[in-house]
Amino acid sequence: MKNPHDIILKPLITEKSTALIEENKYTFVVGKNANKIEIKKAVEELFDVEVRAVNTINMKGKKRRVGVHQGYRPDWKKAVVTLQDGSKPIEIFE
Amino acid sequence: MYRWEKIDNNKVRMEIEIPDTEVNAALDQAYRKVVKGINLPGFRKGKVPRRVLESRFGPEILYEEALEILVNPGYSKAVKECQLEPIDQPEFELVQIEKDKPLIFKVTVDVKPEVELCDYKGITVEHVREEVTPEDMERYLESLLEQHARLVTVEDAELQEKDLAVLDFEGKIDGNPFEGGVSENYSLEIGSHTFIPGFEEQLLGARKDEKREVKATFPEDYFREELAGKEAVFEVLIKEIKRPQLPELNDDFVQELTEEFSTLEEFKADVEQKLKTSLEHRQKVALESKIIEKAAENSKVDVPEVLIERELEASLAEFEYYLRMQGLDLERYGELLEGGLEELKKERRVDATKHARANLVLDAIIKQEGITASEEEIEKQIREIADRQEVDVAGIKEQFSKQGRLDIMAHEIRYRKVIDLLVKHANVIEVEKAAAEEEATDEKDTVAARETEADAQAGAFPAENSPEKPEA
Repeated sequence: MKNPHDIILKPLITEKSTALIEENKYTFVVGKNANKIEIKKAVEELFDVEVRAVNTINMKGKKRRVGVHQGYRPDWKKAVVTLQDGSKPIEIFE
Repeated sequence: MYRWEKIDNNKVRMEIEIPDTEVNAALDQAYRKVVKGINLPGFRKGKVPRRVLESRFGPEILYEEALEILVNPGYSKAVKECQLEPIDQPEFELVQIEKDKPLIFKVTVDVKPEVELCDYKGITVEHVREEVTPEDMERYLESLLEQHARLVTVEDAELQEKDLAVLDFEGKIDGNPFEGGVSENYSLEIGSHTFIPGFEEQLLGARKDEKREVKATFPEDYFREELAGKEAVFEVLIKEIKRPQLPELNDDFVQELTEEFSTLEEFKADVEQKLKTSLEHRQKVALESKIIEKAAENSKVDVPEVLIERELEASLAEFEYYLRMQGLDLERYGELLEGGLEELKKERRVDATKHARANLVLDAIIKQEGITASEEEIEKQIREIADRQEVDVAGIKEQFSKQGRLDIMAHEIRYRKVIDLLVKHANVIEVEKAAAEEEATDEKDTVAARETEADAQAGAFPAENSPEKPEA
């Protein structure tokens, strides 16, 4: 099996994601080819919590231009992980 | 909660504790202020939640702001509650600041020293009673005449002091002319010491159209170095002698001088009255300052350095203002002065110390006697000022309170009262003028200089002597 750190890359801390913490939802940047099941297992292992659901979104890289060259930032995947009621919070967001 | 102890006669250390509820409130306030300036990716400016802010930047980021909110009000409250009278900026030392815990800090500050008052009722001073003498009148009138003197060309006369001589001259050093040594039609007042020493004196007795040779030596410290200490020979031709002619003291002169009076008699009476008032005022101020000085001398008090410094600064600032009006400033003056600025400061320091001491003693007496300045008294004074300046009472009051002048006025009124009290209870020994002549002579100039300022300072004796113009 893959290393959980290759699946969960980093927490995504933004205005929106901090607001979601209220609803027991934690947002991460995850590996491009990680699936929901892998993500659930990885989160449970890394943070010792119980996961109820995982929602993923594929994020398209933004268009960038350097002089005449036009290109894109890499695409990435975002995962919103909902914890079970009563599970302890993920402290990395604190 | 406050604890305080004296660590010196005029130093106090306080420990101030501010309860945790207040600390938390201050931290909240600090967060609201700090967050406005924080730019963090993922958040709009000013929208970073407190938790994120604290975990990213550490809780310390809020402390500085919170301390600003807490420390000063906490300090002034403590000062009030402990009835301390600080005279300097306090030094703070932080002991503890943390969320949900009381804030603790230590303050060290100079306070007014305790004054051991002497028996200030019944101070014995000698006072020289002076009257306006006919000589004073004469002197005044004479100087008035001199001010209005006209220069009249005299044909057949010998040059004497105060005359204005119109000269041509040519100066040489070792037979060679030098720069600035030649002039034509130069008007020189004899006895004005405009020229190098010895020059004017050697012209005395000269007549019109007379040629004279004058030998004079430039002083060693002459400002032009190439000339300093050299002996020069001047060929001088007296072209004209003008002599100041005093107007005659009569009704005509008075009418020319003023429209108020038409006869000499009236004018003289007025002059006498004015001299009298001014002398009386001067005497009153002199007496008051003597009494204050005595009270200050007899009381025991350690005058803190800060207060002396402050007085010194004020006195120097005033002096500089005076210099400015003459187109000088303190630094340039210091260069001209023997011993430099330091010497001046040293001199002034003596007076500043006295002044600071007197103020402390007066404050202590005010406190002991419970002297206050009431609203009405301040009101009255404002009205007087308003009348004098012909402005609206309410307007001037508002302006004053904005400038903090009301407090100063209250202070002045209290000073006035305490001085009156001292004078009332003082034991004044009248001394004939002749007996105290010697003592009085060197004090006279000081007294004269005090006259104008005395009112402004509510009689507290000013440390100012009329500053002498530096000799350029």
